[in-house]
Amino acid sequence: MNTFKLVVRNITRRKGRFIFTLLGIAIGMAAFVALLALGGGMRAEIRNQAHAMGSNLIVTPTDWCTFDQISIFTGEPLPASLSISVLDEIRSIDGILAAPYLTQASAIDMTPVAVIGVEVGTMQEFSNWEMADGQYFSTDTDRSVVLGSDIADQFDLGVGQEVTIRGEGFPVIGVLEPVGNLDDLGVYLPIPVVQEAFEVDDNISYIGVQVENVEEIESYTAAILDRVNVAVSSDEQLLESVLAILGSVEVTLQAVAAISLIAASFGIINTMMTAIYERRREIGILRSIGSKRIDIFKIFMLESAIYGLLGGVLGSIIGALVSLFAAPTIMAGFDQIMKGASLEANIEPMTIVIAIGLSVAIAVVAGLYPAWKASNLTPVEAISYE
Amino acid sequence: MNSSISNDTSKNVKGSENEAIIKTHDLVKTYTKGKIETYALRGVSMEIPRGSFSCIIGPSGHGKSTLMHLIGGLDRASSGDVVIDGIKIADLNDNELSELRASKIGFVFQFFNLLQNLTAVENIETAMMFSKNAPGNSKEQRVKALELLRLVGLEDKAHAKPNELSGGQQQRVSIARSLANDPEILLMDEPTGNLDSKSEEEVLDQLLKIHATGKTVVIVTHNTEVSDRAEILYEVRDGKLNSVTKR
Repeated sequence: MNTFKLVVRNITRRKGRFIFTLLGIAIGMAAFVALLALGGGMRAEIRNQAHAMGSNLIVTPTDWCTFDQISIFTGEPLPASLSISVLDEIRSIDGILAAPYLTQASAIDMTPVAVIGVEVGTMQEFSNWEMADGQYFSTDTDRSVVLGSDIADQFDLGVGQEVTIRGEGFPVIGVLEPVGNLDDLGVYLPIPVVQEAFEVDDNISYIGVQVENVEEIESYTAAILDRVNVAVSSDEQLLESVLAILGSVEVTLQAVAAISLIAASFGIINTMMTAIYERRREIGILRSIGSKRIDIFKIFMLESAIYGLLGGVLGSIIGALVSLFAAPTIMAGFDQIMKGASLEANIEPMTIVIAIGLSVAIAVVAGLYPAWKASNLTPVEAISYE
Repeated sequence: MNSSISNDTSKNVKGSENEAIIKTHDLVKTYTKGKIETYALRGVSMEIPRGSFSCIIGPSGHGKSTLMHLIGGLDRASSGDVVIDGIKIADLNDNELSELRASKIGFVFQFFNLLQNLTAVENIETAMMFSKNAPGNSKEQRVKALELLRLVGLEDKAHAKPNELSGGQQQRVSIARSLANDPEILLMDEPTGNLDSKSEEEVLDQLLKIHATGKTVVIVTHNTEVSDRAEILYEVRDGKLNSVTKR
């Protein structure tokens, strides 16, 4: 007989309590793992989106706030306050390819969609667009639309049909091949047509810039700022802004997970305290046959730690499964925030290691007080307990 | 201090058969509840010879069990001394006292006090976890535990849980457990108090056999069947030692 064997017998003696205590810890840990996995998934997806955007620099009006800037990633309508005249100034810099965007909002079947004005001549090269069906615009004055692949699928639209924008019907002349980012969710028209329809004069929303030599991105930025009064952000900077906001979302998620863990730890304390009262006589028996206080303390601590270990392992499995199966459901909401994104749970091995370690640590801390109480019972008060 | 309760010392102290293995001097135990102080023992001085078969008798609630708890180191006296085999209990810290219980004293209780989730043989092995006298490895522990079960005639019940055993059988397992670390003293609190007459006879037989091996047996009892066999009777009344009868 040894301490471990004795503890395992104690734990498994009352199977109902064992299972419910374990579930209490496991569910707390599952919430922790699932929320971290989904948070990690969002982070990874935002990186994908940023890299898929194809711009190294984003040129925006000077008065845009961070929210406006990150709306470029999320497909929200953007202010049209940048004069298109800055485009020529930027294009005069060597090694730069620039594409203007004018993002406005409309609706198809009462569902909001982004109407994006593009420069017909540069856009195909800038975004590597291929046509899945129909054709691309032929001039900047074409009063027709090209649809992103997802929009075409979502509203069952195809070449020859019509999209109504601001009361005017525009024929669909082409549908793009899927690109795998926000471009799949746009309704595209030539910039002058959008400017006229939305009455924004000669203005655009922002300019995407690709540079020839990414290493020298700072000198390109300086050159742009030297020529025109605009704000220039690198895609990395925008990414950081989004991730910073996501960071606060993650902190909230982790706080929820932490509350689950605290609840689970009180579950352990409760179970162990109840165990002390139930097993008072047993503690007395062990003391009468010669166990020391430290032996009783070890028995109760080991019991807590085993709960923590098993709860951590079970919780990690449940958490991983939940995040894998829940990702598509949560995706429905995430899709609204970040159009075209596909959310997948991102379960890092380190998350599992941390979860199990944390679970054991919490269980050990939760077990300290009950173990101390148990070890401080005098043999006679324990043995005399009826 | 630990060395004073090791085997070596006990061998040194051993020797004269008539020497007292248990001595108490002016033993007082009070319990305080709020402002009320209740005396359980009011100055008990006694000597129990090595290798004797003694009974502590007296009416219920007069301090017999308290005396046994103090002799066995399960509780501390309010004042006075208990000396076990030359070792003054008051001088021992909790760890040393635990070691003394593990190595020198075996307990048998009225309600058997077996661990319900362990089998008979495992209950005996558990007692070996805490003593330096006990075999260290689990194979040797198992051999010794089975040997003790054979001694009390229950080798065929080695793997039965307490709830699968009769009261008499449970008490015999409890006796086997008390012998796990080969203690010199067996302290028993009403060992037959919860048994039918047939089981009582079986248990009594075991006790006499064990005493015959040279162990000091001290039994707290109301049962005259048991006390009639005692060599010395200590009668405790109103927390005091009322009489000592040697036979």
